Amino acid sequence: MRIDPNIVPEILSDLQTSQVSLNTALQQVSTGKSVSVPSDNPAAAAAMVQNTIETGDVDQYTQNVSTLQTTVQSASSALSSVVTSLTQAVSLGTEGANGTNSSADLQALAQQVQGILTSVVSLANTSVGGAYLFGGTGTTTPYTADSSSPTGYTYNGNNDTNSVQVGDQTSIQVNLPGSQIFSNSSNNVVGSLSSLVTALQSGNSSQIATATTSVDSAVSFIGQQQVFYGNAEQQLNSQEQYLQQDTVSLASQENNLVGVDMATAATNLSQAETDNSAALAAAAKVLPNSLLNYLTTPS
Amino acid sequence: MNFGDAQNRNRKAAEYLQLLGALAAELEKALSAIAQNALPDLEESVVNQQALSGRLTSLVTQICIPLETKAPTSESSLDEDLIQQIRSASDSLQQLNRRYAALLQHSSRSVAQMVGLFNSVRGQIQEASGSRLKVQTWSCQV
Amino acid sequence: MGGLNTSLLIGLQALEVNQGALDATSNNIANVNTPGYTREEAQLSENQQYVSGNNVTGGGVSLNAIQSIRDELLNLQIQQQTSLQNSADAQSSSLQQIQTAFTTTGGDIASELTAFSSSLAQLSASPTSTAAQQGVIASGQDLAGAFNSTANALTSAQSQADGQVTQTVAQVNTLTQQIAQLNGQLAQVPAGEDGGTVEDQRDQLVQQLSGLVGISITQSSDGETITTANGSPLVMGGQSFNLQTATGSDGFQQVIDSNGNNITASIQGGTLGGVIQVRDQIVPGLLSQLNTLASQFAAAFNSAQAQGTDSNGNTGAAFFAVPSNPDDAGAAAGMAVSITDPSQIAISSNGSVDSNGNVANLSAALTQNLPSGQTPAGAYASLVFQVGNAASNASTQSSAIGQNLTQLTSQQGSVSAVSVDEETTNLLRYQTAYEAATRIVSTIQVLNNALLNMGSTTSF
Repeated sequence: MRIDPNIVPEILSDLQTSQVSLNTALQQVSTGKSVSVPSDNPAAAAAMVQNTIETGDVDQYTQNVSTLQTTVQSASSALSSVVTSLTQAVSLGTEGANGTNSSADLQALAQQVQGILTSVVSLANTSVGGAYLFGGTGTTTPYTADSSSPTGYTYNGNNDTNSVQVGDQTSIQVNLPGSQIFSNSSNNVVGSLSSLVTALQSGNSSQIATATTSVDSAVSFIGQQQVFYGNAEQQLNSQEQYLQQDTVSLASQENNLVGVDMATAATNLSQAETDNSAALAAAAKVLPNSLLNYLTTPS
Repeated sequence: MNFGDAQNRNRKAAEYLQLLGALAAELEKALSAIAQNALPDLEESVVNQQALSGRLTSLVTQICIPLETKAPTSESSLDEDLIQQIRSASDSLQQLNRRYAALLQHSSRSVAQMVGLFNSVRGQIQEASGSRLKVQTWSCQV
Repeated sequence: MGGLNTSLLIGLQALEVNQGALDATSNNIANVNTPGYTREEAQLSENQQYVSGNNVTGGGVSLNAIQSIRDELLNLQIQQQTSLQNSADAQSSSLQQIQTAFTTTGGDIASELTAFSSSLAQLSASPTSTAAQQGVIASGQDLAGAFNSTANALTSAQSQADGQVTQTVAQVNTLTQQIAQLNGQLAQVPAGEDGGTVEDQRDQLVQQLSGLVGISITQSSDGETITTANGSPLVMGGQSFNLQTATGSDGFQQVIDSNGNNITASIQGGTLGGVIQVRDQIVPGLLSQLNTLASQFAAAFNSAQAQGTDSNGNTGAAFFAVPSNPDDAGAAAGMAVSITDPSQIAISSNGSVDSNGNVANLSAALTQNLPSGQTPAGAYASLVFQVGNAASNASTQSSAIGQNLTQLTSQQGSVSAVSVDEETTNLLRYQTAYEAATRIVSTIQVLNNALLNMGSTTSF
């Protein structure tokens, strides 16, 4: 059988194949990605859909955790200040109950405790980023002065708590309502301070002693409330670590799915260029190397 | 120059006659080869023609007496019949040669035309190889 | 009779024959660039020899026929592979276009689902922030927009394919008419004789036709019959039969054969088969899945809205609006966000205005399984896989067939193609031979002069 004299279609076919390989290698080096369209690797492209969404979520959760850590820490430190203030009030009350004070002394003590009450209320009204820490989910100032109230203050917030999403299946409760901390019916911190003020003003020792005892129990009560915020902080910290690991593994997954090892890509490109040059050179040799070149028109 | 005896000359003349016949046959073969596009046969015939005509040419100098020489003796004269045959064979060879020459001229012109055609075809091929590449599915499309 | 006259006759004949043979060669060379040209060889036969006495003279040659060399079977195989390749090419090019709508470059469903999910997580952290609420609405709109544009990419590929149906049918009709005409010419050729360049041309057109639509060829005493793969007549001998297009109930062009039958679903192979496959099978399949996803996702999110109350104290209104049609038709293309006021997002789970208990439900709509059995992201990922897989397969098939074709045409070439080199080698050799022969002619002439001396009685 004769040899096909038309090697041109085969040469052209080889050239086209080597050109495609060259283009692919170039694209991989310049983008660092081996998958640009789904047909490059359908399974990887599908997996990347999930990866993309999860990566976006993890980024947002990480931000949420960071914001919450700030608010929780703020709440915790506010409560520590409250404890300090209450302890101070207790010693004032104790002094006032010892029966050695003059009326003027007692008035002075009452004023000091009033001052403490005011500062505790303002701590109860702490806001971070425009949101009140202790108002439940309400947006109005948690405690405002109210002369009609027996404690002198009204709670304007609500009793709700918010849970914030910090993971796909993970939400963390981040607040206790002020009504639970400061004006709890079983241990009304605001109320007990306000009673102490009244008792000191009245000068009745046994009254003062009673009021001081209830302020004292408020100290341990607040201590218990602090436990909640300590736990929340721990939860947030461990979620933060988990999210960091998640971020790393998602990035690694992405690289496995669609990333290209740059050293390999550079080598592939170099090889593809060599192959392409060789194919071109072979074509150049064959095509014009026909006797036509040697034919001269006879004179 | 001594042309030797008549026997020698006649012998040479006989050989001349034979070679004329052989050359005529080669020309016939060449004619046939051209008609059949049988290139190898043509080439072979041309080679044979070359050998034959070379031999004939050298024989002529051995047989023929230049005009300026003295008249030979009758002892070295050629056979008359032989001379007649040689003349006749030579005539037909010349006629064949003329026909052969005509065919050669015609064929050479045809080849020249095709070469000219080729040069234009060659131009097309070179253009195609530089143009954008695409996969061909036709066997003859360049 | 021998002698001079015979020689003259032979010479004349030789001249004529040579002309014919040269015609064949020059035909070969002139047609080296003609697609489908099969090499002609002068079939020469020797005439009877003349015998006269002791002289035997060759009878010269005559020209029997110019015979084309071709291999019918190879032609058939090449036709079939051409059909398959063009069909694969049509599908491949359409899918390559479609799959760009499924790449993660922004504006696609994957990117917008990501943004929407993030916006909900952000709302969870700042439920009362108007900015966070607005962010949910904005990313919801972007997501609906992504569904719209993805659906549009599919329907636009469909209408492109539809246009190609009309175009290709017109091309088919042009070719069948031309083929029928050539068949008519070939019918004039006496039996046993080869059709030469006319047959080459006809074969060339038939191969083009096979690239447009899958065909079936039978030879009968009346000539060649060409039908579509399912048997609708296209060419019978010197008569051609047109295909027609008519708008179907789905708004797309249907292919009608010359008997009035709707053969759209039976067309296989060729560009026509490929585009019909895209238009009537591939795209509808993808579109249907996309619409189901859009419809189910919208329903899931809307029901999560309805579980809570918004900042105005009302039960959550539907967030996404999706056209309601049988089989969810048009759901993706028509998806939109129906609430515009941030306060309408149902963030509260207990009726109190500022709690965020329902935000978790809204987020859950993205992470829980839809009625189809997959999460929204999972269902979309499956769709991406299908598109990528189909595009990759079509492209691979097209290359594989292309390689087959190269091999087949290579075989065909060795049977039929004109070798420029071969012909030119001959020319060179002829040139050389003629030049040498011409010199000998001169030598022979000179011999004649010598003969004059030879015959002179004065010199003997």
